Formats: sequence, structure tokens, C-alpha cells
Amino acid sequence: MDAYREAGVRLYAVSYDEPDALADYAEAHSTTFTLLSDPDSEVIASFGILNTLIPPDDHPWYGLPFPGSYVIDADGIIVAKFFEHNFAIRPGPEQLLAAALGTEFDAPDIERPPDRVSVDVAIDGDRLPMGVTRQIVATFRVPEGQHLYSEPVPDGLVAAAIELDDNDGILSYEPVMPPTSPLTLSGSGDTLAVYDGDVVVRLPVAQNARNMQKDDDGRFVTISGQVRWQACDDVECFLPESMPFSFRVEAGFPALGDMGPGVGRVPAMNGAQHFQRLIDRRAGTDSGASE
Amino acid sequence: MGIELDTRGGPTSGPYYEDFEGFNMPEPPGHGSRRIPRGEFPTGPEVGTRLPDIVATDHTGRQLDLHADRNGQPAVVVFYRSAVW
Repeated sequence: MDAYREAGVRLYAVSYDEPDALADYAEAHSTTFTLLSDPDSEVIASFGILNTLIPPDDHPWYGLPFPGSYVIDADGIIVAKFFEHNFAIRPGPEQLLAAALGTEFDAPDIERPPDRVSVDVAIDGDRLPMGVTRQIVATFRVPEGQHLYSEPVPDGLVAAAIELDDNDGILSYEPVMPPTSPLTLSGSGDTLAVYDGDVVVRLPVAQNARNMQKDDDGRFVTISGQVRWQACDDVECFLPESMPFSFRVEAGFPALGDMGPGVGRVPAMNGAQHFQRLIDRRAGTDSGASE
Repeated sequence: MGIELDTRGGPTSGPYYEDFEGFNMPEPPGHGSRRIPRGEFPTGPEVGTRLPDIVATDHTGRQLDLHADRNGQPAVVVFYRSAVW
């Protein structure tokens, strides 16, 4: 959250929980962002993201959204959104902040010959909790006068991309690609979409905890793969290149709702009590008494 | 728009069921809270449009207008399942 504050980016989280459930959660987790209550799913419905696969009489699940995140700029315009099919997956805070900040990034210092593309690959977090994405971030420094290709590529060329090996338990999602520039070839007059300058490609990755039952007592996960690219100038293309990477990061679990009874837990979020109320209110069995 | 329910997956070790991405949960895929879409599903307002107004009660009990509250700052707005479960 400090990174968000420093960047001047606000964070809001909307759910179908009651305000007092959010208050208990905020206290239990020392939350510093804003939790918003949408108990009748009015906001969720107004966004058109109500999960309609859940029938209205299925309590307490009815009212859930298809979960996702929107990133808006200072004018309130949506600049990016992230929705995954699987509710077990949510974008990591780094991914959302990177989207909010747009093309600004700290380009790593890379030693390189000035006439060739150089690449740095990093992972934007030191832990990979189950179901929360981190990103493999590949930064290409493309020399003046050269460019890289984006998908779809002309025949025989290689697009700039991050490819993962078949890492057990590691999932990858839609890559976040930078904007392209149009390039008109002097020969054919064809216009291609290319990348030039500093090019940052981000591949969201997550783990499903399968591998936690296997190696290293489950305390670490390894993510390996390669970055591929092919640089061209106006006249010719260089040979395709690739660079392997491997990151070993701590596994871990995200902060989950605490369903425990509260006794002996300091502070408690009274999860079971709130859960019962979720069911009662939506099933119409709520006595109306508030605590 | 018809949205297809994703029921891929099946029982795994213990009382758990694994979904198509290998996540373990006590509910079988396609049941309970685990009703997730396969293929196209709605993701709300499009990139390039203004985020619709959100007026809701926050965790301090205050009525809050998101666009007013962010006071000209960029923001991330997350729709998630629940803080309770």
C-alpha cells in the first residue's frame, strides 16, 4: 500500500458484504484502502458483471460478481481491466499499479553493445501466494533505428514474447503488451505494428498450490522459461534470439477471510458470524435484528 | 448472451476437487460459489470509457462517492468475492 500512496493511486475494493463485516475485516487486517459495501449487488449489477451462473435462490452465493479489476486515470477513464475466468485468480497489486502508472517504469541499467537489443527479465514480487498473480517483466532496450515485432508477425519472424517452460503448478495469463508504433516498410509500402525504444512486456503468472505438495517442502516455487525476440532495422533482420530465465520465489498464501470464532484471535473479524448473516439475510430468514 | 458454466475438473485427493487450472477446493467445479464461466463472459464497461459512478457505504459506515473521494487521483477498483469467506 505504501507503493500506491507514493504513486498517488487510490485503491477501492467492492464486495457484496455488509458494512460491519467490512469494518471487522478492516480492523483485523489493518486495512489502509477503502472497502465498499454493495450488499444488494446494485453496483455489481449496474456494471453488468453479476455472476448470472448462480441462481437467485442460491444463498449466499447469489449476488457475487464475475470478479475483476478496473484501473482508471485521473479523469476516471478506464485505462485497463483485468478479468479472469477462474475466481481463484486475482491480479497482484504490482500488476494493477503498473497499469495505473502506464508506461512509466524504472528501466534497469543493462550493459550492452549499443547496436544490439538488450533484455532484462525480473519478477515483480518476492513471493508468489496461491492465486495471486505476479508478473514476469521483460524489458527490451531497442537501439535507435531498430524495432521488435508484435503478434501477429509476418512469416518467418519472431515476435517479442515471454514463454514459460512447463512448470508444474504454474499458470500464466494474457500478457500485457505495450502500445505499438506503425512502421511503413520502404520496399513494399506495407505498414507493420512494431515496438521501439524501451519495450516492457509483462506476463502475469500464478501458482495453484499443486507443487506445494512436492518439492522444497512446498516453501518455494520455481518459474522458468525464456524471452524471445527478433530485432530488425529498415533493411534487414537479425537472427532470432532468446534468453532463459529462472526465478525461485517463496510460495505462500494470500490473506483469506478468517472464519474462526474469534476467541483467542486478536483482532478477530468474526467471520463465521458474518457468514451466517450473509445466508440469513439473502434467504429472507433474517430476523431483522442488528447487533 | 448465454454464458457457459465451467465444470471441468474432478475429485482429487481427500475431500477436495480440482478445477481446470489445478486449484483444489471443497466444492466440485460448477457448484456453489464455484460457478465460473467458460468462454465469453461480461466484464463490464470497456477500456476508454469513464468508470460508472459508484456510490456505496464504506467500511467506516460513511456514504462514499468514488469519483469524488479519489479527488482527481488515478485509482484501482477491485470487484472481489467477499471479505467474509
